[in-house]
Amino acid sequence: MKKILFTFIALILGGAAWAQNAKLPENITLKDIDGQSVQSSVIQNGGKPIIISFWATWCKPCNLELNTIKDLYDEWREETGVKLVAVSIDDARSAARVKPHVEGNDWPYEVYLDQNSDLKRAMGVVNVPHTFILNGNGEIVWQHTGYQAGGEEELIEKVRELLK
Amino acid sequence: MIKRIFTLALLAALGSTVSAQGLLGGHVTGNVQMDGQMSSADSIIGAQDVPEKLLMNARADVLYTNGDFSAGLRFELYQNPLLGFDAKYSGQGLANYFVAYNGEKLSITAGHFYEQFGSGMILRAYEDRYLGLDNALLGMNVQLRPVPGVTIKGVIGRQKIFWEYGEGLVRGIDGEVNLNSILGFMKESKFRTTLGAGFVSKYEDDEVIPSSANPEMRLNLPLNVGATSLRADLGYGNWSLQTEYVMKGQDPNAINGYVYHPGQALLLNLIYSQRGFSASVQAKRIDNMGFKSVRSQSGEMLYINYLPAITKNHTYAFLSMYPYATQVNGEQGLQADVMYKFKKGSFLGGETGLDLHLNGSVVYGLDTTVTGGAGTEGYSVNSGLGETLYGDVSVEIAKKLSKAVKYTVTYAYQVFNPVVENEPGDLHHNHIVVADVLWKVNKGHSLRFEAEWMGSDSHYDANDPAHSDRRAGDWIMGLVEWNIGTHWFLSASDQYAYNDGIGNYYNFTVGYTSGATRLQVGYGKQREGLLCIGGVCRLVPASNGLTFSLTTSF
Repeated sequence: MKKILFTFIALILGGAAWAQNAKLPENITLKDIDGQSVQSSVIQNGGKPIIISFWATWCKPCNLELNTIKDLYDEWREETGVKLVAVSIDDARSAARVKPHVEGNDWPYEVYLDQNSDLKRAMGVVNVPHTFILNGNGEIVWQHTGYQAGGEEELIEKVRELLK
Repeated sequence: MIKRIFTLALLAALGSTVSAQGLLGGHVTGNVQMDGQMSSADSIIGAQDVPEKLLMNARADVLYTNGDFSAGLRFELYQNPLLGFDAKYSGQGLANYFVAYNGEKLSITAGHFYEQFGSGMILRAYEDRYLGLDNALLGMNVQLRPVPGVTIKGVIGRQKIFWEYGEGLVRGIDGEVNLNSILGFMKESKFRTTLGAGFVSKYEDDEVIPSSANPEMRLNLPLNVGATSLRADLGYGNWSLQTEYVMKGQDPNAINGYVYHPGQALLLNLIYSQRGFSASVQAKRIDNMGFKSVRSQSGEMLYINYLPAITKNHTYAFLSMYPYATQVNGEQGLQADVMYKFKKGSFLGGETGLDLHLNGSVVYGLDTTVTGGAGTEGYSVNSGLGETLYGDVSVEIAKKLSKAVKYTVTYAYQVFNPVVENEPGDLHHNHIVVADVLWKVNKGHSLRFEAEWMGSDSHYDANDPAHSDRRAGDWIMGLVEWNIGTHWFLSASDQYAYNDGIGNYYNFTVGYTSGATRLQVGYGKQREGLLCIGGVCRLVPASNGLTFSLTTSF
């Protein structure tokens, strides 16, 4: 056991020191909003930035954030070409609520379900909401946990910086 | 030790050399969390002194990814565990490790893994750090995706329980097919069809369990117990229907009192949704579906499967004061939910629109006739309803008054049976009103106010065991939250039992967030009660004092 640990740490220290920005994991199985399995590699935006927002139907700040961005989303898209992908971490109890929740709130986002928390774990998310910005090459360039009113300004500012 | 440091240095050097040559690269992601707690005695709320003065839970997850290859480790520390976490967690060490290959058509994980078949009613290995629950399987997990639309999973392993592993061996296979992807003529069809089936088997050595009819005799225990799932996810236009039926063979165990009655459960979700409107109905029936990898294990650990609670996951304090917990031995229930957006300019919508959210659920026990004790069939199920376990209805209205002010008003009525928590007492009937106002004062500041009221027919009496629930009585609550920029927040709240009850729970919190790092410090009194996530609950004792939490992701 200890050997595994040491080997692992050594590999990380030795190997990853030269690493670039982490990318979005490619082969994680998610479900789309109609219940069909897809791989995380479907999250694409033709070389433009992507915002990935981890959320859940029962999470109040998540809903506040996604409802706030909804009113700004058309402007954001026009200005920066950014796309928001909302990844729900609802488990079996509330997963069936995701589609009615998204449509009932009239959210314009691309939505995926991560019922087994595979993508959540792979991206190191602890609590929702947790937001990532990916640059045009799919590299994670910024992340943020929690949402407070006004957080959306900081988010789009970081996207704008990418385009400079 | 010196030898180890040497090994480490050698490996690091080796790793560097390899990576310098471009063979190794990849990246590291992960997160760290530390939670601390100090608590002193308070007889009113039932808080005890903590002899250690400071309790701490901490963990660090590290994930190394390089192309299709990944490896992960988790270090956990409980010195000593926070109040409400099992004392068996005391200690520290490596709690989780794995290596994985994630290709386009094949994924293999060796080590600890989390997995779910369908809605999890026959298999769900998962963890919830706030519940102190980790059902990870240690073994192998293989997932095949030979063609788009087809997924086949196979698992084998033993379940984690605290710092050890259960004796029972868990094996499972599951397949899911999306007909629209694999059948040419279905590709353009408006009917969306996904079918799935799974089988899980548990093996455990024999042991001596006396029969209830004759204590001289021992039960003839099944060493292998199997469970099967059949499910379909259908859609047409705005409609969708998800259904899963599961059954389990004879499984005498500590939770069902060692009876041989087979298990089954049915879950149905019917949904209609379009932009701005959705309606859904959910039905569930469970009969003896507690499925553990160790038959003598009671409590929340070593469950192979997961039975979701059918009630809404409420978030306001008083709405979630009496949470519902799934009754794995038997329950039947319904939930209905409607969301509607009144558009801007409509009669009810006014100038800014209005969101309406209705929800209701009701859960009953099964109507059963007991036919015997341990070693017999145990009981038979009649077609009617058993006792009322839980029911609630809620109406929520959300509206923007202006660009700067938003409010939400909620009314709920709730019926709660203490038997859900294995406690004595009558049904509690509660009326709850919540008003929640968010005011964006200016660019850098926002304020949130929350006022809650609960009127209940229950009362508290310290001398009567049937009325010893400290949640009883009529309550009021106020909360103010001040957000400063996007980094700081301050909040103060108080819950007070003004009639027929006991307790005054005040709390002050300050938090700082920067990027993916968050630090929060709180001081106040925490109610004794069940912390429930997804219908699984953990009893948290009352506490009185300082708490802090630090999380960061990288």
